[in-house]
Amino acid sequence: MPYNIAMVSDFFFPQSGGIESHIYQLSSKLIDRGHKVIIITHAYKGRTGVRYLTNGLKIYHVPFFVIYRETTFPTVFSFFPIFRNIVIREQIEIVHGHASLSSFCGEAILHARTMGLRTVFTDHSLFGFADAASILTNKLLKFTLSDVDHAICVSHTCKENTVLRASLDPLMVSVIPNAVVAENFRPLSYTPSPFDQIPTSPLRTHGYPGHPLGTDLLIAAIPRILALNPNTRFIIAGSGPKAIDLEQMLERNVLQDKVEMLGSVRHEEVRDVMVRGHIYLHPSLTEAFGTVIVEAASCGLYVVCTRVGGIPEVLPQHMTTFAKPEEDDLVVATSKAIAALRSNKVRTDRFHDQVKMMYSWRDVAERTERVYQGITGEISSEEFYGYYPGQGWEASGDRVRSFALIDRLKRYYGCGVWAGKLFCLCVVIDFLIYVFLEMWFPRANIDIARSWPKKQPAEKSRPPTSARSIR
Amino acid sequence: MTPPPSSPSSIPPPIPVDTHPNRAPGSKAPEQDRIPDPDRLAPEDAYFATSLSRARSAPANYEDSLRSINDGSRVATLRAPRGMLGADPSRKDVTKLGAAGGRRRRKGAWKKLLWVKQTYPDNYTDTETFLDHLQRNPRVRPYDFWPLVADSTVIVQHVCSVVIFVCCFVGIVQDRVSPVSIVCWGSVGTAMGWILWDNWIWREQAELAQGAQVAIGGDDGSSLSSMASVANPSGNEPQPNGTKGSPIHGLGLTMSGNESKEQLSQRTAEFNGSLDEIGDPALPVGAPSTASSIALGSTDAQDNERRSLLTSRNRQRLSTVKSAFLIYFSLLGLSPILKSLTKSTASDSIWAMSCWLLIMNIFSFDYGSGEGAGATTKFPASLSTNAAVMASTVLASRLPSTTHVFSLMLFSMEVFGLFPIFRRQLRQKSWTGHVVLTLVLVIIAGGAVGTTLGGGWASAIIGSMLGSILTAFSMGGCSWWLISLQKYKNVVIGPWDPARPIIRRHWN
Repeated sequence: MPYNIAMVSDFFFPQSGGIESHIYQLSSKLIDRGHKVIIITHAYKGRTGVRYLTNGLKIYHVPFFVIYRETTFPTVFSFFPIFRNIVIREQIEIVHGHASLSSFCGEAILHARTMGLRTVFTDHSLFGFADAASILTNKLLKFTLSDVDHAICVSHTCKENTVLRASLDPLMVSVIPNAVVAENFRPLSYTPSPFDQIPTSPLRTHGYPGHPLGTDLLIAAIPRILALNPNTRFIIAGSGPKAIDLEQMLERNVLQDKVEMLGSVRHEEVRDVMVRGHIYLHPSLTEAFGTVIVEAASCGLYVVCTRVGGIPEVLPQHMTTFAKPEEDDLVVATSKAIAALRSNKVRTDRFHDQVKMMYSWRDVAERTERVYQGITGEISSEEFYGYYPGQGWEASGDRVRSFALIDRLKRYYGCGVWAGKLFCLCVVIDFLIYVFLEMWFPRANIDIARSWPKKQPAEKSRPPTSARSIR
Repeated sequence: MTPPPSSPSSIPPPIPVDTHPNRAPGSKAPEQDRIPDPDRLAPEDAYFATSLSRARSAPANYEDSLRSINDGSRVATLRAPRGMLGADPSRKDVTKLGAAGGRRRRKGAWKKLLWVKQTYPDNYTDTETFLDHLQRNPRVRPYDFWPLVADSTVIVQHVCSVVIFVCCFVGIVQDRVSPVSIVCWGSVGTAMGWILWDNWIWREQAELAQGAQVAIGGDDGSSLSSMASVANPSGNEPQPNGTKGSPIHGLGLTMSGNESKEQLSQRTAEFNGSLDEIGDPALPVGAPSTASSIALGSTDAQDNERRSLLTSRNRQRLSTVKSAFLIYFSLLGLSPILKSLTKSTASDSIWAMSCWLLIMNIFSFDYGSGEGAGATTKFPASLSTNAAVMASTVLASRLPSTTHVFSLMLFSMEVFGLFPIFRRQLRQKSWTGHVVLTLVLVIIAGGAVGTTLGGGWASAIIGSMLGSILTAFSMGGCSWWLISLQKYKNVVIGPWDPARPIIRRHWN
C-alpha cells in the first residue's frame, strides 16, 4: 500500500551534507517504490516556495526565522497553521522527521500527532550526556520522541544513544544505516604510482556546533607518519577553523611538498579527490555512521579510522585498520596500513563491488518501508515488534501509540518533574490550536494538491514483507 | 529487506566475522534465547532507571585505558566476552530449554554490524550486546568529610576577609575607627606578610640551587642530559611562584592599574631573579664546557651561586619597595579624583552596586591552589579582583576626606590584591599556619561584625564566638550536604561520547 509521506527537516538542499543527501536519496527511492513523498524544510536564501526535484519530489520551503547554522528558531506552535495546510493539501499519512537538532522536525512530529498522523523520527547524530548543551538537547529530544511512533537510527551505537537519551523502548527503534550511491564512487582503473597517497578530510564545512573532528590528531600524526614513511603524500580536503593550525604545522615542518591542502571540496567532486589516493585516513572523534568512509571504501581506498562511535560497525575488517584516538596509535595504524598495501595483502580492487552489495539506498528504502508498515498497522504489531517469551520486557508500554489526548498527556507527563508538566501544557495548547484551526480554517476549504503522475512501481514482483519477515 | 537467509552474503568475507567489532573474533555461540542473567544489563535498563543499580564488574578490553580505575563496583562496564560464555557447557542446556519453540531458532547469531545482511528485523534488540559499553560513574571519586571541610577553609578565609573589609568601611563611615589606624595596621600586616613570603621564596630557591649543585657535583658533569634535567627544575621551579600571582597580574583595568603594576613588577623581578640564576655561569644550561669546570670546582661554584642569589634577591627587594612607593604615591595623587568620582550618584545605588560587586568577587574568586592548568582558565581571576577594586572605589567615594579615601583604597589593595597571594602561599607552605590564619580571620570577622552591630567589647566577643560557631556549623553542614548529594550523581559514558584524543606535543 503506497503511503503519502512528508519528510520534515531543517536541513535540505541547497545546503549539502549527510542528512540532506540521506533525505533526498531515501525520498527518491521511496517514490520509486510507489509512495508519494514531499519534503518540508525552511526557506533558504534564493530557494523559496514550492519546488520540484527529480522524480516529482516536491519540496516546500516554508518561510521561517533562521537563528544559527540553518536551524530555525524553536517557536513550538507557529509552524502549525502552515504545516496543517500542507499536510491536508498533500493528504499526508506519515510524517518522518530527521535530525534531532532540527526544531522543524520536533514541531512537525508534535503537530502531526495532534492531527492524528503516524510519525517516524530518524536520528543522525550522537550526543553525550555531560555538558549543558547536551542536557538541553536531550530534553528537547525527549519531548519530540515521547509520542513518536517509531525511531530510526543510523547505527547500533546511535540506537543505544537515542534509547538512553529519549528513554525509548528499544524495540521502537530500528537501525537502518545510511548508504552510498555506489555508482558515484567508482574507483579509477588501477594505475601504479610510486607514492602512497593518503587523502583525508578531517575538516568539513558542515557540522554541528562544537562537533569535534580529530584535526589535532591529524596535526600531530602527519609529521610522524611522513617521517616513518618518506614515500607518502597526503591530500587534505575540507576547510574549517582548524585549517590554520594544519597550515602552521606544514610550515613548521616544511612539508608543503608532501601535503596538499585542497580546501573545501564539493560533494560531487569528493570522488575525484578520493581516487587520487590509496588510503583514506579518518581521524574523527565521534561519528554516528561515517558515510564518508563507506564512500572511500567504495572508491577502492583502504580505510584507516579511529574506533569511535558507530564506525566499527560500518565496514568489514579487511577494508579497515582501526586506531585508538591517540596520536601514537594512529601513526602505528597508518604505517601498518601502508605496509599492508605495499605488500599487496589488501585487494582494494574488490572493494567497490563489495560495498555495492553492502549498502544501497534501495535497501534503505525497503527497510524504511517496513517501519511504515509496522506503524500503520499493516504488519501486525506482534510481528513487527516481535515477542520474546521469558525475557520479561514485552509487556512494557504501549508500542502502538494511541492518539487519545489523555494517553499522549500520560506519555509526556513522564518526561520529568517540571519538564513533564511543561510538555503537557504545550501539548494541550497545541491541541487547542488544532481545534481552533479546524473551526476557522475548515478542511473543506483547503484544496487538495494533485499528485505527480506516478511511474509504475519498479518491482511489484517482490512483495516487500517477504524478505525481512523472519518467521 | 535483506535477501533470504539461504544466501546470506554474496560478499566473501575473507576474515572470520566477529559478532561484535570490539570483541575477540571467533568464539560465538547461538544463544540469543538465553534466559536473562540478572547481572547483565538488559534493554529495559535503558528506560527503567531503577533497575540499573546492580553492581557489576567485568574485564574490559580497550576501555581500560579510558577508565581511571577506582572502585570497580560502581562501574557498569563491558561484560565478559561472549567467548567465555560460549565455552561454558552448562549454557548449552539453558539454550535448549529456552528454545522450546523450534521456530524461534535462528540461522545465526545477531551481529552488531551494519554491513552484514542479517535475518533479524531492524528493531531487533540483542539483550546480550545492547548497551554493553555503557559505563556509569566511571571516574567518580567519593568525597570524604574531613578533607572536604579542610578544603572549605579557603572559601571561609576569603569570605572573612571580605567581611572584615566591609566592617572596616562601616567603621570608617560611622566615624568609629580612624582610617589611618586601619591602614597602618593593614600595612604592618602586609609588610610582615611580605617579609615572610620573601623569606620562603628565598629559601626555596636556595634549596633548589643547592640541590642542583649537589646533583652536578655527584654527576661529575659527564652526561649533559642528566645535568640539564637537574638544572631544568631549578630554572622552572620559581615560575609557579610567579604564576601564583598571575591571577592578580591580570587585574590591569583603570583603577587597579597601579596595583597590578606593582604585582607585575614584583613578579617580573622575581622572574628576572630566577632568570639570572639560570643565566648565571654558576648554573650552566646547555654549556658542556662550563659544566665540566663547575664539576671540578663545585665549592667555588656554590659560593658564587649563593652570592649571586643574594644580590638578585636584594635587587628584587629593592624593586618591590620601589613599586610599593610608586603605588603609594599614585594612590595619594588619585585620591581626590576618586573622592568626587561618584558625587552625582545616590548613596542607595552605591550600596547596591558595591554589594553586587563584592558578591561577584566572592563567587568568581579563584579558590584553586593554582597548580592545575585548568584552574585559571575557566574564570578570569582578574574579574574577581576587578570587582573588588571597583567596589572599594565606589565605596571610597562616599567618604568625607582625601585621607579617608586614600586609606580605604590602600586597605582594599592590601586585602583584595596582596592578601590572597599570601594566603595561597601560606597554604602550600604550612598547613598549621593556614588553619591558624583561618581561625584568626574567623574570629576577627565575627568580632568585627559584632562591633559593627552592637559596639563595645562584649558584643565583639559575642560576635566572634557566634561567628566561629556559625562558621563551623556551616562548613560541616555544607560538606555533609555535598556528600549526601553525591548519590544523585549519574554520569553515563559510552561509545557515543566524543573521544578525547591523546596527543604528545613533540615539536616546539
